Amino acid sequence: MNAPFSSYLAGIAPGLKELTALLRERFDYVSILSTDSVGFQTAISQRAKSVNRETMTTERGTVVRVYRDGLYSEAALTGFNPDKVRETAESITAELEAQFRLLKAAGVQPYETGKLPDEKRTIFAEMETERLPEQEDLAELVNRLSAISDRGMKEGEAQGIRMIDCNTRASSTHICKLFLTENQDLRQSYVYSEGVIMALVAGEDRTEMSYTAVSGRCGPELFDHMDEKLPEAIRIGKDLLAAEHVVPGEYDVITAPEVTGLIAHEAFGHGVEMDMFVKGRALGADYIGKRVGSDNVTMHEGALCAVDVTSYAFDDEGIPAGDVTEIENGILRAGICDALSALRLGTVPTGNGKRESFSHKAYTRMTNTMFDSGDSTLEEMIASIRKGYLLEGMQSGMEDPKHWGIQCIIDRGYEIIDGKLTGKIVSPLVMTGYVPDLLGSVSMVSRDREVFGAGACGKGHKEWVKVADGGPYLKAKVRLG
Amino acid sequence: MAENQALERLLNILKASGADAWEVTDEEEKGWEFYLIRHRLDQNRVKDLESFWVKVYRKTDEFLGSAGASVPTDASDEEMKRIVAGLYEDAGYIRNPVYTLNRPEKDAPAETQEDVDIEAISGDFLRAVAALPETESEDLNSCEIFVSRKARRFLNSEGIDVTAVYPSSMVEAVVNARKDGHEIELYRLYECGTCDGDQLIRDLAETMRYGRDKLTAGATPALEKADVVLSTDAAREVYYYFIDRLNAATVYRGISDWKIGDMVAPENLSVQAVRFLPNSSRNTAFDDEGARIRDMALIENGKAVHYWGRRQFSQYLGMEDSFDASNFTVTGGTESAAAIRTGDYLEIVEFSDFQVDEITGDIAGEIRLGYLHRGGETVSVSGGSVSGSIMELMKDMRFSVESRQYDNLLIPAVTRLNGATVTGAE
Repeated sequence: MNAPFSSYLAGIAPGLKELTALLRERFDYVSILSTDSVGFQTAISQRAKSVNRETMTTERGTVVRVYRDGLYSEAALTGFNPDKVRETAESITAELEAQFRLLKAAGVQPYETGKLPDEKRTIFAEMETERLPEQEDLAELVNRLSAISDRGMKEGEAQGIRMIDCNTRASSTHICKLFLTENQDLRQSYVYSEGVIMALVAGEDRTEMSYTAVSGRCGPELFDHMDEKLPEAIRIGKDLLAAEHVVPGEYDVITAPEVTGLIAHEAFGHGVEMDMFVKGRALGADYIGKRVGSDNVTMHEGALCAVDVTSYAFDDEGIPAGDVTEIENGILRAGICDALSALRLGTVPTGNGKRESFSHKAYTRMTNTMFDSGDSTLEEMIASIRKGYLLEGMQSGMEDPKHWGIQCIIDRGYEIIDGKLTGKIVSPLVMTGYVPDLLGSVSMVSRDREVFGAGACGKGHKEWVKVADGGPYLKAKVRLG
Repeated sequence: MAENQALERLLNILKASGADAWEVTDEEEKGWEFYLIRHRLDQNRVKDLESFWVKVYRKTDEFLGSAGASVPTDASDEEMKRIVAGLYEDAGYIRNPVYTLNRPEKDAPAETQEDVDIEAISGDFLRAVAALPETESEDLNSCEIFVSRKARRFLNSEGIDVTAVYPSSMVEAVVNARKDGHEIELYRLYECGTCDGDQLIRDLAETMRYGRDKLTAGATPALEKADVVLSTDAAREVYYYFIDRLNAATVYRGISDWKIGDMVAPENLSVQAVRFLPNSSRNTAFDDEGARIRDMALIENGKAVHYWGRRQFSQYLGMEDSFDASNFTVTGGTESAAAIRTGDYLEIVEFSDFQVDEITGDIAGEIRLGYLHRGGETVSVSGGSVSGSIMELMKDMRFSVESRQYDNLLIPAVTRLNGATVTGAE
């Protein structure tokens, strides 16, 4: 089935078009993004259970963008009333005018920007899903997650692990967005889902939490086979309890696809968000056309380059989804760009203008950030390492686009000596380094690749949005602590 | 209280829903935002938002289930009824041990309201940013200013009906420092109630000084073990470890094994939840479940004395009088900051992202700027990382008498962790 577009948005669309026309009398450009996204999240463990009809992206509201005298301004509101369009236009204008007066008094000048183009465009995208979150049988899902949790406790204990709990979580969101300008009418509806299994395990003097996840641009059918991830969650819990601390130093490593994805995200995800170019906050601006990695490194970014939680039809500024080749055989080719930054930089937007919600500003943000596959096998890669680690599981990362520093906190390292896994495990690992050194050291790339979309990404320390990333196994040289 | 027809409709639907209990939070936010590139205006924004959060409770056998949802204020009666009926059904699938909702307190004020003039606060922030002591080599790269008037009204089926109106502000600032064609940046995110312009200017001036020093920083040597001193916002994570591990949900879920009466922290360290901290962005009189927020000791001289947190988990742990605290103070230091800063040590003032894992106590962070004090000399260093376990490090942890406030957290100004692992960048 196709995920049906919101009847609420369809119902208020004529009123929003009227609002556009009224504001257009006062401003040189007007766009409106209106959202109506519903979903659920349920968390089941041995100790506590919950269900909410809310996820990090459920919302209903409207944001109006207007342009005049070189300046873009926005008004975010809830409770749009199609019967009171004129009052809404007056209220928005009055509030913005009050801001303009304050800014004038404070002597703040605009960062002058040109007017956004507004060519005729219509999109109506209702993307495929098997089921809808709003129609899901939550009783059945709660039972299924409870069974996974129960089984996790039994199987963990059968393997000699002291299980404190086995947590499961499933969420599914039906996104509906309407984007309008004088000449554009874009409507999209899609569903994404994500699920997590976490085993909380205890050793003699420590407690650890393992984590496995599934995600996809699909409905709650994603959870039908979530139990298949359970053995992995238990295995990771056991590994964490057996782990030692790493001896700090530089090592040859193989990054598993989720770690590869974290590197992609932190290195040349944030590193080529072009709103940072406008502010002079990214070294990438000076490296277009230059080498930033080995010949083995090719990276793509865009809503179209994988199908996962953020594979939409158009972004929050009405720009159609794209697929940007960021790095091609080690050469930095392009960045990703929101619409206003594109105007300021004299380039084209790439469909990466995203908001945390309708009430937040749009920034250049990632969608799917992926390394391309290569031609090696994992076995060949392990065999090539004399002393190093296979790195699995990501905890967090932090970007530094200005200096190309990278910090990734990795869950586990599996020791490799003379081309063989020894069974020794280290955890946690702080991987740090200089991005071009890290990417320049990539010497082998595996044939397969995976995408992971169960996480979220902030800009600085705020503005959380859904992103996905991934790739193949990479062999590289990194510093671990 | 002003009449709110949508809320009245929702309350009537809840009362007729068959729910055994319910909670409603009406959240309103009016906000002004300013985004600056250098000192020019990238964008200005206004916000006028309102939504209801509804939680419906249902008893089944010896269990209590609940389900929550956001209800749009423009929802029709039919939509509200559908949402509430769906929550009632969902709550039937959820089987948790029974607990009770908060009840009205006789002497609790029904309304706490601060005067919040968004325009005046915004003007204060704009003027403070304009007055930064910039130089040719250190200046503001960009800045985002968020000023809000938040109003939160909480009602439940037990009869609580309380409202709090308060200011909430946030500033994100990026500063640059440059020398000989090389430029670096440092990042700050401040949350507060209203604008304390002098404090903001002092903090950003300090950040610019750090930027200047980072330009001349050498690579962090491979120290293996070092005494690490924290004197900036990263230190919050150390103290949040103690606070979070006494959260009732964390304890009930088994993430923390701390028990009341256990020695869980250095013996002179005390932690208190407090109702009010000057200019905190979280000076609300009641928590998200209508419980009155007051002063309450969590750790006294290293000993755990009280869990804090949401009603459900607090009650499971036998804490009938607890609440979801919002401001905290950490005290008990017996040494001056100057006394702590003696001997050989590495004072780290900038991390990429410093973290303390609330489950394992593992600490980790990449060093962006530190000052290495060795043999009476001081050099600035950058790169490499610090790691270790807070459970081990707290055995010899030192912290100052002097304190420093980070929004809703007042902590010792200087904290020393002896024997942390430092991976160098050389």
